[in-house]
Amino acid sequence: MKILVCIKQVPDMEGKFQIDADGIWYSEEDLAWRMNEYDGYAVEQAVRLREQVGAAADLTVLSIGPDRVREAMKKAMAMGCDRGVHIKDNDAFRKDPFEIASLIAAFAGGKGFDVIFTGMQSQDRGSGQVGVLLAEMLGIPAVTTIVHFEFADGTLQVKRELEGGTKSVVRMKTPALVTCQLGLNTPRYPTLPNILQARKKELLSLEPSDLAKTEARLTTEKMYFPEKKGGMVLEGEPDKLADQLLAILREKTLVLR
Amino acid sequence: MYSNNEELRMAANMIRKAAREQVAPLAPSIDATGQLNPEVEGLLWDLGLMTVVFPQKYGGMAQHSGTFLCIGVEELARCCASSALMLIIQAVGSFPIIHGARPELLDRLLPRMVENRELAAYLVSEPGAGSDVASIRTTAVKDGDTYVITGTKCFATNGPVASVYSVLARTSNNGRDGLSFFLVERETPGLTIGKIEKKLGQKGSQTSEVHLEEVRVPAGNLLGEENKGFKLAMKDFDMSRPAVAAQALGIAEGAFEQMERYSRERETFGKQLCEHQMIQQILADSATLIEASRGLVYRAAAQYDEGKRNTKLASMAKVFASDAAMKITTDAIQVFGGYGYMQDYPVERMFRDAKLTQIFEGANQIQRLVIAREIRKENSTS
Amino acid sequence: MKALLVGEYRDGKVLASTYELVAFAEKIGAQAAMVVIAGKESVPKFDGRLHLADAAKHGEYNPDVHKKLIQEAVNRENPDMVVLAHSSYGWDLAPRLAVALGAAQISEVVGYADGAFVVPACNAKMRRNLKSKTPVTVVTLQSGAFTLDGDPEGAPAIEPLDTPDAASTIEFVGYEAAQKSDVDLSRAEVIVSAGRGIGKKDNVEMIAKLADAIGGQLGASRPVVDSEWVDHSRQVGTTGQTVSPKLYIACGISGAIQHLAGMKKSEFVVAINTDPDAPISEIADVMVLADLTQFVPVLTEKLKVM
Repeated sequence: MKILVCIKQVPDMEGKFQIDADGIWYSEEDLAWRMNEYDGYAVEQAVRLREQVGAAADLTVLSIGPDRVREAMKKAMAMGCDRGVHIKDNDAFRKDPFEIASLIAAFAGGKGFDVIFTGMQSQDRGSGQVGVLLAEMLGIPAVTTIVHFEFADGTLQVKRELEGGTKSVVRMKTPALVTCQLGLNTPRYPTLPNILQARKKELLSLEPSDLAKTEARLTTEKMYFPEKKGGMVLEGEPDKLADQLLAILREKTLVLR
Repeated sequence: MYSNNEELRMAANMIRKAAREQVAPLAPSIDATGQLNPEVEGLLWDLGLMTVVFPQKYGGMAQHSGTFLCIGVEELARCCASSALMLIIQAVGSFPIIHGARPELLDRLLPRMVENRELAAYLVSEPGAGSDVASIRTTAVKDGDTYVITGTKCFATNGPVASVYSVLARTSNNGRDGLSFFLVERETPGLTIGKIEKKLGQKGSQTSEVHLEEVRVPAGNLLGEENKGFKLAMKDFDMSRPAVAAQALGIAEGAFEQMERYSRERETFGKQLCEHQMIQQILADSATLIEASRGLVYRAAAQYDEGKRNTKLASMAKVFASDAAMKITTDAIQVFGGYGYMQDYPVERMFRDAKLTQIFEGANQIQRLVIAREIRKENSTS
Repeated sequence: MKALLVGEYRDGKVLASTYELVAFAEKIGAQAAMVVIAGKESVPKFDGRLHLADAAKHGEYNPDVHKKLIQEAVNRENPDMVVLAHSSYGWDLAPRLAVALGAAQISEVVGYADGAFVVPACNAKMRRNLKSKTPVTVVTLQSGAFTLDGDPEGAPAIEPLDTPDAASTIEFVGYEAAQKSDVDLSRAEVIVSAGRGIGKKDNVEMIAKLADAIGGQLGASRPVVDSEWVDHSRQVGTTGQTVSPKLYIACGISGAIQHLAGMKKSEFVVAINTDPDAPISEIADVMVLADLTQFVPVLTEKLKVM
């Protein structure tokens, strides 16, 4: 069984964001980089499937971006992916979801991946498109935002998360793609010996130009911080703060009698 | 940690995340109850930290084992010094076994330790012999193909819970050249646990006396050569002193994070604490001491990993980082003022935890003697 | 400008999100038609052409076939944009339509001005303005971003819709009901919610005490529920309960869209957080920058002696 998991490296969302000089994306300065949260669930589920299938399985992790993304890929390999494919692209942040999906499709097409995992969305762009676009381009079924995954006899049974806590149970034959949501699993920490072993695993590097040339379908006019609603901001010692807050609540709400 | 090595950086990130998510929330209760949390202990094994200095086939690191140990200790100590202590003791207690046991003994013992997740303890200190190893009075007398060990050991961290003990005992009256290490297992008749100590800090482990009354072990349990135990203990220090320094560094970083955040949140005289110059001086000095400690710790560890003699650097790292941690945790309480003195804030615990780093694995006075002796040695041979 | 709205239907009902699409079309001044795969007895209130396919025949979740049905409606209407809710139905279907129509897709739109769509980025800390380069654009709308002023009204001109090609690669097995909720937060006047920022399970007690002291209910954000610190029945947000209390106090909640969608109709919002830039600050009336473990007990004590 051939398994593919696609991951993105994103900034730590707690970081201090600034707009870059072009005004269309954030500046990379002073940001710490992490594996996209939802991709962590995707890697964990892919590794669990790999463990379930055993020796007959081969799990590839793929990422697009500058050299720094190799660190996220090494982490995925330390978690249990067998090999890595790095599509080296310093301009990946300018590419829209359609271009990103086209690159992955150009790599994955004809390679016979049985199951493909992606996160449900990235934390920075948040479009939630790449997984489904990729599946449509490859002509395989896709199910989004799964919170439960089972595989048996060439069939996937998954649960999708719907609004209000309802889930829908869905079945499909492989090859297929799923996008992973919070609640699917708890990703493992890579162990120290596995971190060292990850170094010995194959990490293939490809240029985007080797794969596909696609026209962008979107243009970004600008990126900016939204205007604050202008709520009050209180700071200071707990005791003083509590008095201030209670005074405000007495004045503005009817709940304190 | 500072390094361009990708694996080391990944390990540091991974341990920091795990420590923050799984260990930090439990640190106050570990301190209060005096017991290591079994989940934390399990996590340390799961991550491969408890076996980091073991041979590679038993879960150890093929390269950079000393540095990996320091990384694990530092990252855990940022939020829980007691958890970090577990790593240090496991490494220190297993060192004479790993570097002294005969291959058959190693192959019997280490897989079992890994499988059952067994702890090692280090029985060197005695009521009358701490840093002064030459005064050790515990004896090991050869009797046919066994040794009979008798004496009392003290300050044994994990004494009550360890499965294997590295015991330093006297095999001849030749001062420090008459000492040998032995492996003693928990169930051996004659080995009993004595008084469990009440400690100032690093409370999340049990430290006790261990009594050895005519404990009979096979001659094959001799670790290293007879009467060469002192040398083995010194080599152990080359690994353990950077690790203690890393623990001090982690405690200092944890205290610094606390006081730095507090200095932004708390206001006095109409402005944030961090806007007062006296507080800025504390922050600047603390940050500088931390950077300097980090440099010493990881240079000492790197030299150990490269197989170079690191005795002087290891002592420098230990003395500098532990004195820095004591100063920084003291200052952190000062920044918090009255609140810092209360157990509601973690700096109180960090202050108590820091003190041990100036004492164990050779008190800082001993470290200074070692540094001076190394300097003299260098200059008399050149 | 012409918009084809893709209504949403589940478990026998047209979902309220369908009317947010109508509100969006009104706001941008687009001429709107609608397509929905629904039951014949449950038709959206809407003045305009409604291309109606039978959910009994095609299923409620059957993206392969729904894609083809909507494509047929697109052929009939020739719209400039196809609009869906950014919901479990919409985000699943939209990229399929985008590929089928050769269209750009813009996800989770919160605003529209001068031909540019406004979308959130980086956990809603920032915004981006996007323009489409394709003749047709597929758009999904953030839940709650566009709402009708009054109740939906109107009677559509129904145009039956069907497809001969009902082949599907995905088999819908059934729904699994949400866990029964014993706590009805939707009626609470005051809710005090705990988020990931409370740090550890032990601190739930502290938040619960505050809720008690102020006469409110304990709520929680999703990560706290997923960590099993608080029962699911108290979850506020898209996958939990939607609430509208007189006072909402968010403790250590950064304000993920999914949470905000569940509580932004609260009359007065207080956020207690250490990050002044957390997205919750956008909707908070009062932002208290403080360490929860220090501030909350003090506040609770003061409330008790009042």
